[in-house]
This record gives sequence, C-alpha cells and structure tokens, in this order.
Amino acid sequence: MRYLRRLLSKWRSFFRNDQVEAELEREISAHLVLIEEDFLRSGMTADEARLAARRAYGGVEQAKQMHRDERSILWLEQLSRDTRYAIRQLRKSPGFAITVILTMAFGIGANTAIFTLVHAILMKSLPVSDAKSLYRIGDRYDDCCFNNGLEHENGDFDIFSYENYRHLRESTPEFEQLAAMQADQALFSVRRGQSTAQTKPGEYVSGNYFSTFGVGAFAGRVFTDADDRAGASPVVVMSYQTWQADYAGDPSVIGATLYLQSQPVTVVGVAPPVFYGDRISANPPAFWIPLSAEPLLSQANSILHQPVACWLYLIGRIRPGTAMGPLQQKISANLRQWLLTQDEYLSHGFPALIPKVHVVLTPAGAGIQGLQQRTDKQLYLLLSISAVVLLVACANVANLMLARGVKRKIEISVRLALGSARSGLVRQMLTESVLLGCLGGLAGLAVAYAGTRMILALAFPDSMHSAIDATPSPVVLGFAFLLSLVTGIVFGIMPAWVTSHADPAEALRGVNRSTGERASLPQKSMIAFQAAFSLVLLVGAGLLTKSLNNMEHQDFGLQTANRYVLHLDPLGAGYRPERLAALHQALEVQFAAIPGMQNVGLAMYSPLDGNSWTDGVSIPGRPEPGPNDDDDGLLDRVSPNFFAAVGQPVIRGRGFNQGDTADSQFVAVVNQAFAKKFFPNEDPIGRHFGIYEREDIGAYEIVGVAANAKYTEPRAEAKAMIFEPLSQWQHNLKDPIFVNLETQTHYITSIVMEFHGTQQNLEGAVRRALANVDPNFAIINLRSLDFQLAGNFSQERLIARLTTLFGLLALLLTSVGLYGITAYQTNERTREIGLRMAFGADRNRVVRLVMRGAFVQVALGLALGIPIALIGARMIANQLYLVKSYDPLSLLVAVLVLSGAAAVAGFVPAHRAASIDPMQALRNQ
Amino acid sequence: MSSEEKEPIQLLQGTLDLIVLRTLASMGAQHAYQIATRLQQVSERLLNLNQGTLYPALVRLEQYGWIKGTWGRTESNREAKYYAITKAGEKALSQETMRWRRMAGLVERLLLEDFQ
Repeated sequence: MRYLRRLLSKWRSFFRNDQVEAELEREISAHLVLIEEDFLRSGMTADEARLAARRAYGGVEQAKQMHRDERSILWLEQLSRDTRYAIRQLRKSPGFAITVILTMAFGIGANTAIFTLVHAILMKSLPVSDAKSLYRIGDRYDDCCFNNGLEHENGDFDIFSYENYRHLRESTPEFEQLAAMQADQALFSVRRGQSTAQTKPGEYVSGNYFSTFGVGAFAGRVFTDADDRAGASPVVVMSYQTWQADYAGDPSVIGATLYLQSQPVTVVGVAPPVFYGDRISANPPAFWIPLSAEPLLSQANSILHQPVACWLYLIGRIRPGTAMGPLQQKISANLRQWLLTQDEYLSHGFPALIPKVHVVLTPAGAGIQGLQQRTDKQLYLLLSISAVVLLVACANVANLMLARGVKRKIEISVRLALGSARSGLVRQMLTESVLLGCLGGLAGLAVAYAGTRMILALAFPDSMHSAIDATPSPVVLGFAFLLSLVTGIVFGIMPAWVTSHADPAEALRGVNRSTGERASLPQKSMIAFQAAFSLVLLVGAGLLTKSLNNMEHQDFGLQTANRYVLHLDPLGAGYRPERLAALHQALEVQFAAIPGMQNVGLAMYSPLDGNSWTDGVSIPGRPEPGPNDDDDGLLDRVSPNFFAAVGQPVIRGRGFNQGDTADSQFVAVVNQAFAKKFFPNEDPIGRHFGIYEREDIGAYEIVGVAANAKYTEPRAEAKAMIFEPLSQWQHNLKDPIFVNLETQTHYITSIVMEFHGTQQNLEGAVRRALANVDPNFAIINLRSLDFQLAGNFSQERLIARLTTLFGLLALLLTSVGLYGITAYQTNERTREIGLRMAFGADRNRVVRLVMRGAFVQVALGLALGIPIALIGARMIANQLYLVKSYDPLSLLVAVLVLSGAAAVAGFVPAHRAASIDPMQALRNQ
Repeated sequence: MSSEEKEPIQLLQGTLDLIVLRTLASMGAQHAYQIATRLQQVSERLLNLNQGTLYPALVRLEQYGWIKGTWGRTESNREAKYYAITKAGEKALSQETMRWRRMAGLVERLLLEDFQ
C-alpha cells in the first residue's frame, strides 16, 4: 500500500516538478534563516552567522539533489532533464535540426508508407469474428475463375462447382459453416428506378456467407439460407461504401427494388462499414448476391447448374478441436468418390485424373488471398528498398552528428575535464539523437500519409474505393515510432561514442589547430557506406526501369496509334442470345457512322484487358489427347473488321468477311503460334479442328493465319490462339455445358475502334451511338488501347519509379554528405594547403589533392556496393523482363551517375581550396 | 568514555526514518531545523549530521503518508514548514519500533554469545 502511494506521489512530483522545486527552495532558505537566527542570538556577527549556518546545513545543492533523487522516479527525471537539454541544444542550431528532421522524415516516411501497404495487404485478418477458425478448401489461386476444376496436373482441387459445394457442405460436419463465394469478381449493370444504369462490382455468395464470417447487417438484414433457395425472391446486400457513395446513406434504399442486369432485386440490408468482403481488392463488391439468383441474372450464360463449371471458392468455419490432417484426407477421399458418380466428369475424359484429386486446407483468416499472392514479392522488394534509403539517411545524419560533435569537442572536453561522467554525456547525446529521430518520425508520418495515397493511386489506377486505407493505423503508428527510436539510436550511437572519447587534454590544447583526422575516419566510412547503398539503389532502379521499358515497348503484335477500346455488357442491358446478332449488326452500323471512324471491331474480349478464354483443341484424325496433354488454345470471337481495328495483320489466307454467315461453313483464323503448335511443318490453311470434343469434330476450317499478338500474358510469348466469327453459332450441340459455353462466347465485352480525332469527341459520339442502339447500355469504360496495355504494368511502373525516386534521394543525400565532409576537411587543412602552395604547389595540384580524398571514399563505396548490387540484382531476377540480372549497362550507368555526383560534390570545395591565398592562410592560423 | 567513543557515529540504514518519526510522535509538529537540533541534543552531539541530509528522509516519509508538512510561523515569526506525524505514521512507528527492538535484541544476543 505505502509503495503504491509512494509511486503515485512520485508521479505527481514528476508532473508538478516546478512547484515541488520552488517549495523545496523555500523550505531550505527558511531553514537557513532559522539557523542563522540562532547563531546571531549566540553573539555572532551577521556574516559569521550566515557562514556558520551554511556549514551546519551542509551542501545546499547536494541536499536538493538528494531530495530530487528521493522524491522522483530517477530515470524519468533524468530523461526529462536530458530531453529539455536536447531541445535547448537543437534550438541553438535550427539549421542542423531541420536538415536532420527532413532527412529522417524522408527515410522514415518512405518506410512507413511501404509498411502501411504491407500491413494492410499482407498482415491483416478479415474484420470478422474469430478469423482464426476460418479455413479454405484449396490453396492456390492461379486457376481463377471459371473452369472444370481439374486443371492442375497433380490433381490439386481448389475451385468448385455449385453441385460440388452442396455435396461437400452436406458431407463435412467438421465445418460449423461452409460458405461459397464467386472466385471472380463480376461487373453488374445497376439501375434504380428510371436513372441511367451504372456498372458496379458484385459477388455471388452462398446464403450462409455472412453467418459463416459472423458478420451482421449495419442496417436491414443480411441474407440467410432461405434467400439462397431455388425460387426465393432475388435479394442483395449492399456494401456500406456503396450505400454512402451512391445513395447518400438513404434509408429508403433498404427494402427498395434495384435492377441488376435489368432484373428486379430487393435490397434487404447494408453490410457493416468495416466489412469489405472476403478479400482485399482494388474494387470491393458493391453488392453480395445469393447464388440462387445467378440463373436469373446470367440467363442463358448461367453456370450455377452446370456440374463441371467450377467458379466458387469455399471458406468454412471449422469446429473447435478438429484435426486438419485427417479432415483434409477425408474431404479428398469424399471428393474423389463424388467425382466418380458425376456423369459429366466421367464423360469428359477426366477419370484418369480423378485418382489424383485431393484438396489442401489452408487458414483463411485473411480471406481469399489472391492479391496477396500476386503482390507479396513486390511489396517485400519495396520494403527492402525503402530500408536501404533509411540506412543511407541514417548514415547521412550520423555524419552530421559527427561534424557537430567535432564542433562541440571543446565544450565536451571541458565538461569531461570538470568531471562529467562519460556515460552521462553519451546518454545525453543519445537522447538528442532519439529526439531527432522521433521528430523526424513525426514529420515522416505526414510524408507516409501522402506517399501511401500516391502509391495507392499509382498501384490501383482504376480503383473506385479501396479496402486499403492510407490513414495510419495504430500498428503503423507503432511501427513508425519504433523505427524512429531505432534510427535515433543507430545514427546516434557512433557519434556519441566517438565524441565522448575525445581526450580532454588534447582537445583543449589543440583549440586552434587541426585535429580533424581522428573524427574523420568514421565520417569517411559513413560516406563510403552511403555511396555503396546509393549504388545498390541506382543499379536496382536501372534494372527495373529497363525491364519496365522492355515490357511497355515490346512488340505486342498490335497497332496502338488512334486505337480505342470501349467495354460494355449486353447481358447487363438485358440482351437474350436470340437478339445478339441484331445487336452486333446495329452496333457496327452505328459506330461506323461516327465521323473519323476508320474501323470498328466487336470482340468477346480485347487484347490484355484481363479476360481470356481457353478451349481444348481437337484435330480430326489425330489420337484423342490425354488429360495431361497440352491441347489448349485461346479463343476469341470477333467481328470481320476486328483485325483491322486492333492492327493485327492476317499474314496468310483471309480474315473474316460478310460471307461468313450463320449458314456458311464454320471458319476460323488462327495465329502463328497455333499453326506452330498444332501444324508444325504443315500448311494450316484448309485444315479442320473442333473445340467441343466429340461433338464438333472438324467443325471449323482454318481460312487464315494472323500474326502473333499478345492477349493474355504480357510477359510471356503469344499463346496459340483461335479467332472465330461472331456471326457463326453451333446450334446442334447436345452437352449442356457446351451449349452454355457456345452461348457465352457470343456475348461481346469490347468494341475496338480505329478513330482519328480526340478522345473527348469520341466519347460523346460513342455515347450517342450507344444510345441510338439501346438507351439501357452502360459504358463500363472507354480508354485508348495504349492506356489499356499500360494498365498491365502499373505495379511494375510503380516499383520502377519508386526505386528510381529512392535511388535519387540516396544519391542526393550521399552527395550532400560528401560535399559536407570534403568542405569541412578542406577547411581544417587550410593551413596545410597554404603551406603546400607556399612551397610551390599549383592550383591543379591542390584540386587533385582534395578531389583524391573525395574519390577515395566513393571508390571504397563502389568496391563495397558493386558486389552488394550484384547480389541484390540476382534476388530480383525473377521480376525482370528481358533483362539479365547481370546487366553491365545498368551497372556502368549507376557507377557513372554516382561518380559524376561525387565529382560535383568534391569539386566545389576543391576549387575553393585552390583559391586560398597562402599568405593569408598562414597568417590566420 | 574512551576517545574512540567520542567519534561521531554513522547512522544505520533506515534508522533515520524511525528516529524522525519518534521525535515527531513525542514532540508534536516540528520543522526540519528543530528535528535536526533535537537529534543532536539526544545523541549528545555524537550524531553529527549535516542538516540537509534530513530532507530525503522527510520527503520519503511524506510520500509514504506517515508525516504531513504544513507551512507555519515560528515564535520569532519566521516561516517554516512544520511536519506532524499522521495516523498511519503512528501505526508505522509502533510497527517499526517493534521491528527495531527485535533486531536490536537479536544483535545484542549474538554479541553476548560471542563474548562468553
């Protein structure tokens, strides 16, 4: 009890220190007066009495200090004293303080910005209850988002059909709840009342989706299994952000009817503000829609009841105490058994694969981690790069502190001579550097906030509203504070040690003489260190920029000048399959009539817009491909003018024309890669193939070969590709999945245009043309083809730019550091230089002398930096495109840039040294 | 008395607190100078301590809540801070006294044993 009481008193005394001090002062002087009075009474003179009183009392200052030590928490008291002292010191040299704080602000800011991203993307759990007990059935994301589930050669199964989900949900009681969610995120056309339709991201999820995650409604209700039954009236749950942004939080939206894909649905509730869905993405869903509504919204393209159409990810909440290993085996066995009962799988040649089928259970506290898997390497790369910048900044500040320490040498020496404890001095100087670090960190938070916003804008240029927040969270604040503390110690410890080890006698003796040599060894090594890391960053920047350049300026096999792409969704506008042919014709006519329009091409998808479609190709007369044979061909369905519109030349045979009608021979144009893959050393023209196994053997005749162009993966070689005309349609297919696929391929998403005129003019004209065809059409986006292609590299561009920025920052810091130390040393050596000149050294020799000193440090830096840069380059080799990790040119450029900067930084003081007047130099010193 | 015994003695750690408490208990509220004077009188000037060394003990006791200081006036109308023992202080004094007696008795017994 008394100790607690005492601790409280101590805290009080710490915070009311001035008051307590004043009271103590008053008590002591009252005490002295009383003693004095007694001595006076005993017959002493006033002076004698005062002296005697002092003697009787003992040391006043000592008593005060004892009082302080006793009444307060010692370390806290010391800390606050040191801090006050440090603040006084810094206020005496504001230029120094500002330089250090700015340098640290950039160093810490850069790191905090990147850490904000790393934390938000890689380290956060979903904002749901008990995220730890969530598990996903499946471990990979690379077979997104619609296939037959048997894509992996090793049988790894991670994407499921609706039937499969129902079966697993019923037969796996180890899951308290097992929810299904769409692997892809689709766009929906949304309209309320008579307003124009907008395009919004949405996601199909199972009825128990919200209860699995333990997420309730912010307003209204979330949906339940009852909403996810065949025949249930269609409902949606809206995201809070959409409710706020698009409907201004209007309460009447709840219970209102919206038109999704032109079908009426009821909004039953709004999700909580923190719930952004089951995954981090640039465009989180605006709506969650029960799976049972999919047939209504997708109409003829519906895949819900296609047994082999796999398009769902499964996440469940596991019962406490369930062993994962046995459960994984149980589900795998269950899945194999089930697949054997599915006629659809058996009839499509999958039995050979089924024995290998298995699943891997993975923790899903962070939800669907596709983005994480795509970006983690790049984020860690950025984090390492920013750490290097911080190291350079630390070295720079350490150098400033050292120079300052040299300036304060005399003060320090005097204090040491007067008996200050060395540990006290070190403590004081460390307090100063940690204080600087913290101030830098505070300023760094502002840099970080702005930086994070900028990075998010660059990384996700199309983002509407994002699940990633730039505002620093407590974790980020903690990180920044820790970083400030650590950097304060890192850049402070060496200068503090060096300065406090000054020999007082020597320093006092040498007040006016050059004694700089001892302190300058650490200073020089700091410069070498900075130069080394600047070089590493510059080499990295060179490699990444070159790689980006290679990606952006590669030959895509397309013409991009004056090319534009419009994205739209006929299904969302309510078009049924039987109306598509008329729609395509109307679009072609209306768009072709726009003044300045050269070519209009309609397509199922356009180059590198994120879509793709893969089919298995079979060629008559050849043995049926086994399950592991690569018979893949990309399929795109296009209108006759498409090739001209994207500038992809047909190099042999012919393209499509008006003669290719629904009733004529089914024709196809293939690319060179297709010809090489399926008809090596043969003429493909006139050959036949099919894409629906035994149902359309040899249905298509190849009439032309187009040059290779990239449609899906900008970093890989063009894949084998088939183009089929939109006007032809296989109506005699029997297998329901084939009927479905054939239908899906006839829905266009893109119109590619060659247009001479401004994009603004085009936009207005496109809007009018579209309205002429059907006022229900929503424009998803209209961009130049260049912009669309560049969009594939936004992350690479971000990393290359940031690395360049960081490299230049490091270079600047190094140059300033080098300049500072060279100027300082030259100043110290004025007398020596004066002497040399007096003995006949000419100006050139003096310049050489000074420059040599500067270059020795840079050369040391290069010797250290080149090996590190080479190692670093190897570590990022897998992120480089057509650039070898050992790239002499990048290395050479980096060395030249660094040397050039060093030459400038060294020449200025060298030139000044050479202008020294020997007589004056000698007289002054 | 031998000359050795005339040498000022060092206070045992912790005993100053007890002495101050005891002084205040028997004499009523006292200021620091009075306490110091009283100590010298009682010890017949054997306990010759700098008066400033009282201060840490005073602040410690006050923080424990055993004594309380208030400003007042001396007979000669000078201001001084008077310390008075509190309820808790009296309780602590009796406990500390008992502890001291047990301790002193123990040491005494040990010393006697040695000389037998």
